[in-house]
Amino acid sequence: MNTIYFDDRTKALHHLCEKYQVTGGGRVDGCCFKSPAGTVHLLPWRFERRIIELKKIIDSNTLEDISTMRFCRMGSGNLDDQIYREIDICEWLGKSKVKSIFAAYNGNRAVNMIIKLENDVSCSIECAVTMPAHADAVDHHEIIARRGVAFDRAVDTQIPQSSIYLYSGKTEKKYTDVDSELFGLSAEDAALVRAAFQALVEPAAVPDRHEYLLMLVTCARSSEKNKTPHLIAQEG
Amino acid sequence: MKPIKIAMLSMTHGHTRKYFQTLKENPNLKWIAVSADNEEVRERFERDNHQVPCYMSESEMFDTHPEIEAVIIASANSEHLRQVEECAKRKIDILSMKIPSFDPAQYQKMIEVTEKADVVFHIELELHYNSVVQRLKKIVKSGTIGKILSFQATNITLSPVWAFPWQGIPEQSYGSRVKLKENSSRFRGGALCDHPHVFDMIRWITGSDFDYVYAATATNLRPELEVEDMLLVNGKMKDGTVFLFDPSWSRMEERLKEPGPGWEVFPKRMEVNISICGEKGVLVCDCFGPNVYHNGAPNDRYTVQYTYFDEWIGMMDEFVDCVRNRKKPQINLRWHEQTIKVMNACYDSISTGKPVFFEI
Repeated sequence: MNTIYFDDRTKALHHLCEKYQVTGGGRVDGCCFKSPAGTVHLLPWRFERRIIELKKIIDSNTLEDISTMRFCRMGSGNLDDQIYREIDICEWLGKSKVKSIFAAYNGNRAVNMIIKLENDVSCSIECAVTMPAHADAVDHHEIIARRGVAFDRAVDTQIPQSSIYLYSGKTEKKYTDVDSELFGLSAEDAALVRAAFQALVEPAAVPDRHEYLLMLVTCARSSEKNKTPHLIAQEG
Repeated sequence: MKPIKIAMLSMTHGHTRKYFQTLKENPNLKWIAVSADNEEVRERFERDNHQVPCYMSESEMFDTHPEIEAVIIASANSEHLRQVEECAKRKIDILSMKIPSFDPAQYQKMIEVTEKADVVFHIELELHYNSVVQRLKKIVKSGTIGKILSFQATNITLSPVWAFPWQGIPEQSYGSRVKLKENSSRFRGGALCDHPHVFDMIRWITGSDFDYVYAATATNLRPELEVEDMLLVNGKMKDGTVFLFDPSWSRMEERLKEPGPGWEVFPKRMEVNISICGEKGVLVCDCFGPNVYHNGAPNDRYTVQYTYFDEWIGMMDEFVDCVRNRKKPQINLRWHEQTIKVMNACYDSISTGKPVFFEI
């Protein structure tokens, strides 16, 4: 088998389309999939292996009676994008909608939140965009239940681990390859391509949460402004 | 230096055993006696053959050993004021456990009697003497990560209540029976009372004080406890630093009567991790790592074996210096008062569901 090396998300997506004979075409732009049919807002983190496994652990009742979830993401870029991502993961893993948000911001670079879900699960979200641009994001997702704790980081470690660490000459490199069909892409880019591919293959399966998640991000800002927990009015 | 003649009171606090080695090895201390809160504590102490007399009465111990100059108060929080007053009366210097009292009137009384008697009152917040924390403070002070924007910290442990039952009894831990919320079946006095360090640490690192605090409890992992075991805290400091603390008992334990190997169910029984986001960078810190790991006796479970706890050495060195040279410890009653206030404010926030603001 000849391994194809990808360094471009759209090329990787086209490779999947060709291999699986999916027509339609389109391209990945940020967290969106753009095609002649329109723009789809993707939720690529739901395609990350570690997040999928956490979801499986919860859905299979390996954990019982979740009390608290603790999420953190420190990276660079846009703070609202990070909040958007983490709140979606919070609702997806928590299997419930946000009931209230209390958020404390420091400008546009750091925020800490306590979220209560409608099913009474508590969640803390720490986000910051203070990492140097060249550095990988440091994040974690921990679910604490009466029976068991699930975590996407190793016990007694602080930063994400990699599959390979290479020390050679003056350089140190690390590699984490998670998708053999999309070999060469980072874990997050591979997840993005997988999400885009799903949008092509099964568009109806992509949840339309963009406006709702933007509303929750706005509610977090509102909590900071009013210095009070923002209660979310859910429909239905 | 002439060694300080020191005793220990009650021995029901979870940190009691951590002092034994220091009391034996520090050349500036001479361990004179202990008093036991109850017969079980006495039997346990005597079983370990420390060659130190153990009394069932504090006054009998003090009367028998008038040479005692200082004590370590290692008792339930509810006993502290009585013991502090007794020590002040006898002009005995005090090393106190981390919560002198949650009751503002009791706290003020402690300030009053110790200042009037001119006795040293040093509060055990040992993280100040932890070498990892000292490095963290040095890095922050150097400006490497710039002005602090946010400060996140865990102070998570297993629950000690099975070995130290007073920590699950509201009257003995918090000092009185106060419901968490109007219709709650739980009371103040649980995990929050056990974990003041992070509230203290942010004040020390930032040099600022609390602007507002918001706290929320979560579903208890141990439904049989009548105190909280899971909670989250966030808010802002006067200098704009936002913070998020997890001071929970979120690590499950075997319900041992006496702490020892195999106590933990989750591999890591205790964690104090701090992450600081600054204008110029990020620092992540494990105050008690790295460690070693095993899956041997007694439960054949993967277990984090801690590699060092030397905070007590530096802390006792400072206590000795304060006693002998009549200095004020860095963690004294007046410094710590704000930390106790914000912890009480967390309970008020849990009760009302709203943040609590502090006046300048």
